[in-house]
Amino acid sequence: MTTFDPSRMRRTVLEMAYAGSTVHIACAFSIIELLTALYRNHLRYPGNDPRAEDRDYLVLSKGHGVMAQYACMHERGWLEDSHIQGYFKDGSDLKGLSDSRVPGLEVTSGSLGHGFSVGVGIALGLKRKGTDQKVYAIVGDGELNEGPIWEGSLVAAHHRLDNLMLIVDKNGFQAMGTTDDVLSLGDLQAKFSSFGFETLEIDGHDETAIDAAIRQLWATSPNKPKAIIARTVKGKGVSFMESINLWHYTRLNPQSFAEALDELGLTGASK
Amino acid sequence: MREAFSNALVRLALADSKVLLLTGDHGYSLFDEFRRNCPEQYINAGIAEQNMVGMAAGLARVGFRPFVYGLAAFVPIRTVEQIKLDIAHDDLPVVLLGDGAGFVYSHLGTSHQSTEDIACTRSIPQLQVLSPADRYEMTAAMDHAYATSGPVYLRMGKADLGDVHAGPISSLQQGRLLKIREGRADQPGLIATGSMVRAAVDIATSMDLMVWSAPFLKPLDADDVCAAAQVTNGLVTLEEHSVLGGLGAAVTEITSEHQPTKVLRIGVLDRFSEHCGSYAYLLCEHGLDVDSVRKRIGVFCHSLASNSIALA
Repeated sequence: MTTFDPSRMRRTVLEMAYAGSTVHIACAFSIIELLTALYRNHLRYPGNDPRAEDRDYLVLSKGHGVMAQYACMHERGWLEDSHIQGYFKDGSDLKGLSDSRVPGLEVTSGSLGHGFSVGVGIALGLKRKGTDQKVYAIVGDGELNEGPIWEGSLVAAHHRLDNLMLIVDKNGFQAMGTTDDVLSLGDLQAKFSSFGFETLEIDGHDETAIDAAIRQLWATSPNKPKAIIARTVKGKGVSFMESINLWHYTRLNPQSFAEALDELGLTGASK
Repeated sequence: MREAFSNALVRLALADSKVLLLTGDHGYSLFDEFRRNCPEQYINAGIAEQNMVGMAAGLARVGFRPFVYGLAAFVPIRTVEQIKLDIAHDDLPVVLLGDGAGFVYSHLGTSHQSTEDIACTRSIPQLQVLSPADRYEMTAAMDHAYATSGPVYLRMGKADLGDVHAGPISSLQQGRLLKIREGRADQPGLIATGSMVRAAVDIATSMDLMVWSAPFLKPLDADDVCAAAQVTNGLVTLEEHSVLGGLGAAVTEITSEHQPTKVLRIGVLDRFSEHCGSYAYLLCEHGLDVDSVRKRIGVFCHSLASNSIALA
């Protein structure tokens, strides 16, 4: 059985980012514990099949964090080492943003404010079918600038989608600065509560708290959609990336790659 | 034509419980029959078109057959990105119904008028674009859309102009033109879509011209367009849509490559409406009334005749 150890996940992200000389490392690092907890303890994939008809759905609406999801898919055995080491090679399938054609990714996102609406539709459809499947939608706090998030929130509450859980990666940053500086979000827990969600705010890097919040929300308030406001650190896990928004855009060089691996207590290749 | 639309929707929904109608708080009386017959399959998604289209993608992903209704100014125009990313990219079987296309909302101004929707949707991969001309084409277009495994945009324009076909069409063949009228081979042939097929027939009757209806803007059968060009002397396209990116563009893309022919594109000349008024008034403002179009076709015929004399 896989371990879904957050440090291993971060190493996989670093290896991909280094191999592909790509950006968005910090966007992936803030959701590592959230995804780790979901894949380890909550998401159901019968037969470990990412396309199983009766699976739960993980919708990564903030497509910029897709490397974190690739790391989990690698841990699940859905991606090979060659996918990690060959990231961004000409003709490869794994793109820099979530693409639904890849088994394991449910939506094509990166243009923000799309995935959540699709997730609302999936949840509405599953509820109409009377299944017990769950839908998790991870959105960035910057992504909350997008209008369809709030349209979808109204619809989710109106249709009593208690099989839908919105998880906000509240890392406090968006592309050009802090969310406070760019477009203030105010009290997110109060906002989503007032929209009709059962809402909890937690430390998004505390796996025990994440597990507990997910279980508590599913167990309470039938007829209400759920929301977790997860306080996170953009770039979490590597000191020189943490809350340094340059790591939204910065690429690794051999030195920063080695230093980052060193900080994770992991050196050399993963296998 | 709207009755044919409603009847087809009710018939499809009664036969298949996976058919869902989503509306962005539009179509009040239009959906009376649907709400009476299939209340559980009716979803008013609120005045939130972007979320509605994304949600339709989610519903299609888990096996439903959403028909998403809005005014063409909103579905597709307001939601082009959701159509592209959430629906077309994954080839999902969602039918997008854009009502009131063209100048139907003649008094309401630019926000409710739609003369760019064909251009915007035609360039989205995997998306078919249909534009029925009368109730018979509407019924066949709805059946075609339901039978299609991928996404379809169905454009509904002015709907009370009367029939152009003598009776029901058994089924639409994907991309094919429908011959409406025979006429002179030494004169231009008319290819029209949607509301302008009626005008084309009226003009062609007085000038004895051939007429085809184009219920498909995409795909558009290249062999049919070339054949129309071969049996006539020049072509005229007619649409209640911009001359950029619509039927005229689609026809000239084909003829310029496969069957070079003079083509007169009748449509909206890259401009917004200046004033408001009746539908007939607005067609006049844009030079799309029957008299204006007939004059332009007359000039075109004359120029073709002079050209051939000059060449001879």
